[in-house]
Amino acid sequence: MIRGTLTIYGRELAGLFLQPFVWVLLFVSTLLLGWLFAGTYLPGANGDVHRATMIALGGDFWFWVLTLVLAPLVTMRMISEEARSGVLEYLLTAPVPDASVVLGKLLAATTFFVVLWGTCAVPALVATIGGVTPDWSQILVAWLGTTLVCALFCAVGLTASAMSQTPVLAAFLAFLFALILLVSRVALRLFDAIPDDVLPRSWIEFVVDKLDVVGRYQVSFRNGVLDSAHVLFFVVWIACFVFFTVRLLEMRRWR
Amino acid sequence: MIEVRNLTRRFGPHVAVDDLSFRLDAGEVVGFLGPNGAGKTTTMRMLTGYLPATRGTALVAGFDVLRQSMEVRRRVGYLPETVPLYRELRVEEMLRFQARLHGIARGERRERIGRVLERVGLTERRRSLVGSLSRGLRQRAGLAVCLLPDPQVLILDEPTSGLDPLQRIEVRNLVKELAEEHTVLLSSHILAEIEDVCPRVLIVHKGRCLADGRPEELVAELTGVGAHVRVEAVVPDAIAAQRLFASLPGVREVRVTDRVGIHQGFEVRGEGDLREDVGAICAAKGFALRELSWQRPSLESLFAALVLGEEPALRPPASAPSEPARDDSATPPSGGLLQLAPEPTASPSAPKDAPAPAPAAAPKPPAGPPRTLNPFERGGGS
Repeated sequence: MIRGTLTIYGRELAGLFLQPFVWVLLFVSTLLLGWLFAGTYLPGANGDVHRATMIALGGDFWFWVLTLVLAPLVTMRMISEEARSGVLEYLLTAPVPDASVVLGKLLAATTFFVVLWGTCAVPALVATIGGVTPDWSQILVAWLGTTLVCALFCAVGLTASAMSQTPVLAAFLAFLFALILLVSRVALRLFDAIPDDVLPRSWIEFVVDKLDVVGRYQVSFRNGVLDSAHVLFFVVWIACFVFFTVRLLEMRRWR
Repeated sequence: MIEVRNLTRRFGPHVAVDDLSFRLDAGEVVGFLGPNGAGKTTTMRMLTGYLPATRGTALVAGFDVLRQSMEVRRRVGYLPETVPLYRELRVEEMLRFQARLHGIARGERRERIGRVLERVGLTERRRSLVGSLSRGLRQRAGLAVCLLPDPQVLILDEPTSGLDPLQRIEVRNLVKELAEEHTVLLSSHILAEIEDVCPRVLIVHKGRCLADGRPEELVAELTGVGAHVRVEAVVPDAIAAQRLFASLPGVREVRVTDRVGIHQGFEVRGEGDLREDVGAICAAKGFALRELSWQRPSLESLFAALVLGEEPALRPPASAPSEPARDDSATPPSGGLLQLAPEPTASPSAPKDAPAPAPAAAPKPPAGPPRTLNPFERGGGS
């Protein structure tokens, strides 16, 4: 299982970074992040590199936009394209469990984001070398949080990719699903008008609480708190989507 | 090595494979034959565990393909029709990936990759991107990937489809070599190929197994006519000549076939190859021979008989489509053309004793609609 996952992971990583498209994505997003950091975050934090880094890692709306847009783009081809070219048939008859195939792909997609958000630590690194040490533990925890958030969105993307025949459709579906997870807290307001006796407010809040990725991330990871409850929240959702994807692959066999 | 029992697979209301049972012993090479949509690919996918069966069981190397899928996957080399390769990898990298998937030890990898590349003749292209290879080379790379873990069973789905004749011969030779060490199940709808490579064939049509055995035996058994000697000669009297041929030792039946110009055709059936005897008697009687050939019904004719007629063609009426088609290009087609040909008596070159055509020698009216012998040209040929 683990050997198979690692093998698939290695192959997917190579496949991912052999696509020029992925380098373009990486280039554009690091450019945008650098420009935002130097032009907006750093002045906004009065030159405090640590605070500026924390803004970049999830404190700003751009973090979520980038994740929301990039995760479907990175994962969209992973299953739908392979199903088309017949490579999926090869992978599913290779001596590795189906779950390994999905996990390997998920890890590869997540690695892309680990690299991307890793670049946000560069200013902090420069500051450390310059003698002003930022709070590294908080940055690391936040970075771990971003990894979990992105892994979740990538898992969503893989599920969409397993569902659809073409990469474009997969990207669109993934975008929609991820959007639901993202805006659930904002969408809470839509239910303000519903009287309590029709649908108790606490029920809605319960559901939203189980979907609210942004809130969970900002409450814990971004504050440098490694809360097992919130880690579990992400892990469970990721496991859920990995399970869906494996089942969808299984479904292809029965159709 | 492979054992299939009552395998059935439905796709909704459509039955792709219908109660198929067969067995392959270790070291056998079996051709899986059938027209498009006969259920060949579906059966192969079920054998590799890619598709689950609706009903029935399949055992590969003694393992159930569904319950012990991993064991089966480790022992089967499967080459689907569209060769599954990552276009962005190099041939060598693709093989390395396969080696890792199969858990081949690191130290062994390099040597085995080298060996398998040597075997398929891709050593010089080991650094080429898979995407830049031609179709034939890609097919070879696919075979290399499939051979790398040294599987006990090879399942090759149309390994020669889409290749040019030369590449086809190469792949065929490769498969022949492989046959020495592996159990091979090979599908194709190219009959000549199967006949060439596989000592045993399974003919499937509409998901059912219509025939199973050695091509020659099947042909002899199922067409009921077996091989025969075809004679075309200038004879004074067709009926007399028929009787003459029939009097030869070992002859069971002589049939008078079509007449082209001054030449009368006969089919002499009997024990073994009677060419010598027939030739000798023709020489003795002074019949001018135009053709004396040993006609063996081919797999193709058997296939046509099975698939067109659906039932094994056992009696002569059904043997019409089983007439060998490949080797008698010298014979003009019967029917329309013959009626247009000038009467033999009107021809100045006709021998003076050429009789009026006997009723038995009159061209047979084509029975029913004209049927082409090649099942894949049905409709187009008529």
